[in-house]
Amino acid sequence: MRKSNEKDKSAKEKEIKNNDDDSFCSDEHNNRIDDTTFKWDPLRNIADDPDEVLNIIDSHLTNLEKEYFNGQKDIDENFNKVFSASSVSRREFIQWTALLTSALMLPTIFAPRVARAANILTRTPFIWLDMSDCMGNTEAFLRTAHPTPAEIILNYVSVDYMESIMVPAGYQAEARRDGTIKKYKGKYILVVEGAIPTAMNGKFLTIGAKGKTGLEITKATAKNAGVIIAVGNCASYGGIPAAHPNPTGSVGLSSVTDRQVINIPACPANPVNLVGTLVEYLLVGKSPMLDSLGRPLWAYSGRLHDNCYRRGHFEAGEYVKHWGDDGAKKQYCLYMMGCKGPFTWNNCTVAQYNQDMSFPMRAGHGCIGCSEPAFWDRMTPFEKPNADAKIFMPAVEATADEFGVALFGAAGVGVAAHAIYTGVKKRKNNKDKDKDKDKEKEKDKDDKLNSGDNK
Amino acid sequence: MENANSSESSSDLKVVHRMTVIKRIIHWTLFLSIINQIITGMYIAYPFLIFGITPTQADSPVSGVLNSGETYQAFIMTWMREFHFLGAVLIDVSFFGWLYLAFFSTKEPLYKSFLPFGNKINEMYKMLKHYFTLKNKPKTGKYQDPLNAIIFTFFHILLLLQMATGFQMYVASFTGTSAVGAWWPTMMHICTDWTLLVFGGLTGVTLTHLFITWLIIIFIFYHIYIEIWRSIVWKEGDILIPFGGYKYSRDNLKEDESD
Ligand code: HEM
Ligand code: HEM
Ligand code: SF4
Ligand code: SF4
Repeated sequence: MRKSNEKDKSAKEKEIKNNDDDSFCSDEHNNRIDDTTFKWDPLRNIADDPDEVLNIIDSHLTNLEKEYFNGQKDIDENFNKVFSASSVSRREFIQWTALLTSALMLPTIFAPRVARAANILTRTPFIWLDMSDCMGNTEAFLRTAHPTPAEIILNYVSVDYMESIMVPAGYQAEARRDGTIKKYKGKYILVVEGAIPTAMNGKFLTIGAKGKTGLEITKATAKNAGVIIAVGNCASYGGIPAAHPNPTGSVGLSSVTDRQVINIPACPANPVNLVGTLVEYLLVGKSPMLDSLGRPLWAYSGRLHDNCYRRGHFEAGEYVKHWGDDGAKKQYCLYMMGCKGPFTWNNCTVAQYNQDMSFPMRAGHGCIGCSEPAFWDRMTPFEKPNADAKIFMPAVEATADEFGVALFGAAGVGVAAHAIYTGVKKRKNNKDKDKDKDKEKEKDKDDKLNSGDNK
Repeated sequence: MENANSSESSSDLKVVHRMTVIKRIIHWTLFLSIINQIITGMYIAYPFLIFGITPTQADSPVSGVLNSGETYQAFIMTWMREFHFLGAVLIDVSFFGWLYLAFFSTKEPLYKSFLPFGNKINEMYKMLKHYFTLKNKPKTGKYQDPLNAIIFTFFHILLLLQMATGFQMYVASFTGTSAVGAWWPTMMHICTDWTLLVFGGLTGVTLTHLFITWLIIIFIFYHIYIEIWRSIVWKEGDILIPFGGYKYSRDNLKEDESD
């Protein structure tokens, strides 16, 4: 850990000697970088001048370190404690900071700062609320066999309230939560998992000894949080609890608070995306740039279909037709098996799941679009192409093609009827010109045909 | 019809100009590009509908030739999408050409078929009635009859929707910038992002695009049927309009109605 109260950056950057070798992350990177002029990612423009950017970030980190640690020794020990306990070597950790830095689309000069932020993250007060959910995100973060640093950091964050792992229970637990809200007003990180039922005034979900509704709890906790993160699709957009017809009136977090919410959707969300966003928040002091659906752009700006390694087969017209067929063995595109990659923005193909080593398309199943709003309604049927989905039209229970063909058939019948009618009528007109007779039959036919063929 | 024929002798047959060269070019460009859109679009929606089999799975010479070669040589979907986008460009240009001419055509702007509105709506009903009774054919002259005018306008609204949903799907693969600059995806976002809200996300937009394709197919059949019907029943050569630009008329047209 470098002491970072230096002010005029670029000159000093090179001078800094690696004299504190024993510190956990005295960085190798810094020596290599002799050019500190970089273009700050336009996604997160906090200053035009690169030096100023580094200054802002460094002073930020220093302040936070002062607040949550007792001096340099504490900082270094914390690192060792966290990682040695999980048998992650210093080397692996540095590799991971490099990975996260590039995932965040930052230049390498940020790698040591990312490491510092990750360290601070383990001490930042943290409230994790569970609403209507399956705890899938919690499970995914806490229960990996060989956790990556991202998961370790999430395990070690100073959780002040998280129902699934905290020791206090009942009234004690609630007191703990209320205490944190008071003590760290405007500082604590709030992560919410799960959708929030709003029907019947939120009574579909009551939590804790006092039986407060999830709606009340989230509102109260969100009010004073430093940063608010909705993790998983349910917290972000309502997810499965909000699927049609949504009897509990479940909604995503951003619908119940007027504060800014950072959405980290997916089912479950990738730990890299959560930790990366938190790290960036600590670096910059504000939330990353978000897309129109509230997702951090660094993670969610790429469409899966455009970053998928099977895309070549898509373009070549080579598709898996049945599970386990020849194409499946050759890793052809899963478009015909209902892959929703063309409709989904996420970084699964880059950051990957399961110890950062796989994602659905690699495993041979299409994407189900779990990081998009209302995916349970809009991306189903999961294993059929989108064109086979039912169209959203009141009183129509058909695919676009079924309905289209039906209309086409009806129109065809109408046209044929009209053609026949025209022929018959003409012949009649030619044959007899008695008008009275004509009118009678006309009426008959008009009534019939008008209903069938009213274009 | 009978009345019309008996009251006027065929010697009254007049030539009426109906479609300028530009309009005819637009008409046939639209025709070709829409047929192209339907074929390529259906392939995009159902890659098996046409070729049935993947290159390395090919078991007949035909599909083998169509899909011959290595993965990198086949690129069927690439070509389908490429032609779909080329057709899309033609449709866009034609659409805006049509829109311009609908108001500013010097010879026969479409808006004349709508003004004065009350009269024209009345005339539209008369035409509908005529379709089902074969009697009292409304006069047809220099301008499109109101019924056709309305149906063609509706059809162009379908085209506009198709463009909006299509460009929304197209802009999906852009990440904020493009070879020609950031203005291009930005413009597409500004023009088409509303479709996401209206049709329920990108999947809904795609389904809408697919469904409108069917409405367009229905329009095409109706359109060709009714033009043939008119040509047979009226005996005024309506089908010739998009080819030669003229039709005949037996109606006693006032000066400003004929040309
Ligand atoms: C994809 C197929 C087609 C489409 C989308 C289409 C569309 C249109 C449109 C929009 C107009 C109105 C033009 C305007 O407002 O200036 C029109 C006029 C016309 N089209 Fe087509 N057309 C198609 C195919 C055909 C074919 C195959 C024929 C016959 C051979 C045909 C015959 C005519 C005629 C006769 C008119 C003139 C109608 C009038 O002015 O009263 N069309 N068509
Ligand atoms: C008459 C006009 C058009 C017709 C009939 C048509 C038809 C279709 C159909 C049937 C599909 C497949 C939908 C699916 O996957 O379920 C499609 C896809 C598409 N169309 Fe069109 N389309 C038309 C115009 C346009 C226009 C003007 C654009 C503008 C760029 C466009 C862009 C697209 C795109 C981007 C796709 C998706 C391609 C992909 O998934 O890779 N289309 N179209
Ligand atoms: S597998 Fe899915 S994401 Fe990959 S190319 Fe095919 S459709 Fe696109
Ligand atoms: S590939 Fe699709 S379904 Fe799978 S995690 Fe990523 S966004 Fe979700």
